[in-house]
Amino acid sequence: MFAHDFLEEAAQNNALLQIHPHTKLFLGLGTIFLVLFAPHFLIPFIASLVLSITIVFIAKINLKFYLSLLSIPLGFATLSVLVVILLSKGQEPIWSWQVLSWLPLSISQESLNRGLLIFFRIMGGMSALFFISLTTPMTDLFGVMKQLKVPDLFIDLSMIIYRFIFIFIKKAHDIYLAQQMRMGYSKPKEAVKSYSMLFGSIFITSWDAGEQFINAMECRCYNGKYPKNVSYNPVEWRSLTPVILFLISIIISSMLASGYQG
Amino acid sequence: MEMKPLIQLSNLSYAYPYAPPAIQNINQTINAGEKIAIVGSNGAGKSTLLLTLNGMLRPVDGRITFQGKPVLYDKKSLRTLRQKVGFVFQDPDVQIIAPTVWQDVAFGPVNLDYPEEKIKEVVQEALHKVGLEGFERRPPYHLSGGEKKRVAIAGVLAMDPDVLILDEPTSMLDPAGSEDIMDLLDELNQHGKTIIISTHDVELAYPWADRVILMENGRITASGTPEKAFSDRELVKRARLKTPILLELCQELAARGIKNGGKLPTTVLDIIRIIENEHHGNIRLFENGYGSIHVADVDLLSGKKAVAFMNDMRCDTVGVMGSRAKICSRQWGITPDISYAVIDKCILQAMNGKTCAIFTSKGMVSRVIERVNEFNAINNRSIPVQEISVQTPDDQ
Repeated sequence: MFAHDFLEEAAQNNALLQIHPHTKLFLGLGTIFLVLFAPHFLIPFIASLVLSITIVFIAKINLKFYLSLLSIPLGFATLSVLVVILLSKGQEPIWSWQVLSWLPLSISQESLNRGLLIFFRIMGGMSALFFISLTTPMTDLFGVMKQLKVPDLFIDLSMIIYRFIFIFIKKAHDIYLAQQMRMGYSKPKEAVKSYSMLFGSIFITSWDAGEQFINAMECRCYNGKYPKNVSYNPVEWRSLTPVILFLISIIISSMLASGYQG
Repeated sequence: MEMKPLIQLSNLSYAYPYAPPAIQNINQTINAGEKIAIVGSNGAGKSTLLLTLNGMLRPVDGRITFQGKPVLYDKKSLRTLRQKVGFVFQDPDVQIIAPTVWQDVAFGPVNLDYPEEKIKEVVQEALHKVGLEGFERRPPYHLSGGEKKRVAIAGVLAMDPDVLILDEPTSMLDPAGSEDIMDLLDELNQHGKTIIISTHDVELAYPWADRVILMENGRITASGTPEKAFSDRELVKRARLKTPILLELCQELAARGIKNGGKLPTTVLDIIRIIENEHHGNIRLFENGYGSIHVADVDLLSGKKAVAFMNDMRCDTVGVMGSRAKICSRQWGITPDISYAVIDKCILQAMNGKTCAIFTSKGMVSRVIERVNEFNAINNRSIPVQEISVQTPDDQ
């Protein structure tokens, strides 16, 4: 299917789908929050490791798919952390090199620590974010939004957008294939032309779909309301307990680490 | 069946802007409980006609009355009309508007301001009727074509309409999926819904419909029983359709002097009957014994019992009728041989000495027995038909 490399598709098929979204959001958001305040790089490192293991082995997300996802922040994090390590100044440089008169590069114990901390904070935060997006599909999040009293207009619009994203991507995919079959993107000039045609027809399709959408809603007695499903399986202690233990252990180790440093 | 006019169309015309009239001068009465197929080529005006029935299009000329009252086009009357006349679009992707199955089916009831408990109840019931329980939280892009169609039908059923209009219900489905949908429509019709479909598939419309309306260039050219509507070859050709194969076969047999006994065939069973009449007796393989039909209510059975029974009776053919029975048979690991037009096909098998088991749900059991007995009486046969008794010895 066209949607096979979507995060949403993975989320719809993950093994933790039946767990109450509150539990999963609590774990994900809690980890992001705590990782930002962790004083030592080992804490976000371990948090990231635990979440990755959960994603791959408990939620049964394909390892290759997950690694390819992780590689996106990995490149970004490595670059920025290199800058931090090389440019920030410390007391005892381990290694230094005057590249140009105005550009001294040096690595010190402090800059190394700071760099690692930032690096693992990014990775910890990202794996928590991936945990949420790989285990909690959008369709569950709409219900959570409703419970959090997000304005109906916003939720309704996001639900309509969600519904149409898949229709349009499928349409775009079909047109793209049809163009390729007729040598659409063979030359740079041709590619520009093909892209403009692709976007043109997507625009017309969406216009059309909008009209049909209104018709379909009229046909079904639309009166300004959009149903929202807020019933989930109950929150289970079986899943909530390890989440709480995990978060508490991050807090305790953070406190210990900052006490040790201070 | 009691004929109670439900929808009356008189002198109806509609034209899209800057175009010649899409339908003109339509006069037709649709009775409660009918199964109607509107058959015509592409652009004959089928969809336009259907869209006028629930007020989506306002005719430029003519009158529509629903349940004796003229259709009004203010917002409130339209809502009432659309609740009573449910419309299922050709493309389910157009109709399914919510991100999950449950939300989509609940769309109508929520907008009709049903209380929360009632919404849950009607959605549950609608999903049950179309055989999609357990699909509540699935997103629509995850479903197959047939499942999407079922969601679309459930969304309309949840509003409890009197009339169900389906525009080309099978055009996007594979043959098995089409048969399932047609069986579902039969079941809904049994439960009292008036059903109107449009199609250009004559083979589909011919055995299914009570009444066929032929359309050509925005006009109705014939309306009547399927046999009658399709018998005028010239008319069928002009409408850019073709004669259903069974009818053609019958016409060719008649041209060779084989009489049809006054009734044109709508099923293979009818054709076999015509040939047997000509043959003056039964046609069946010599080694085949006498066939029989056994009917079972799936709610009174368990999977183990059903399988044990099938083995005991050495059933040759298994027919499964209705969505409830289809769900059960899937759970029990029984693969049906017949899942559409089950009764007629089982009679056909029994005539050739096969033993058939029909699994169906409550209420349909007596209908099967009635239908087989009726066939026996008319054709002077004695195909034994009985309900599978529930109290088997291994009952715990």
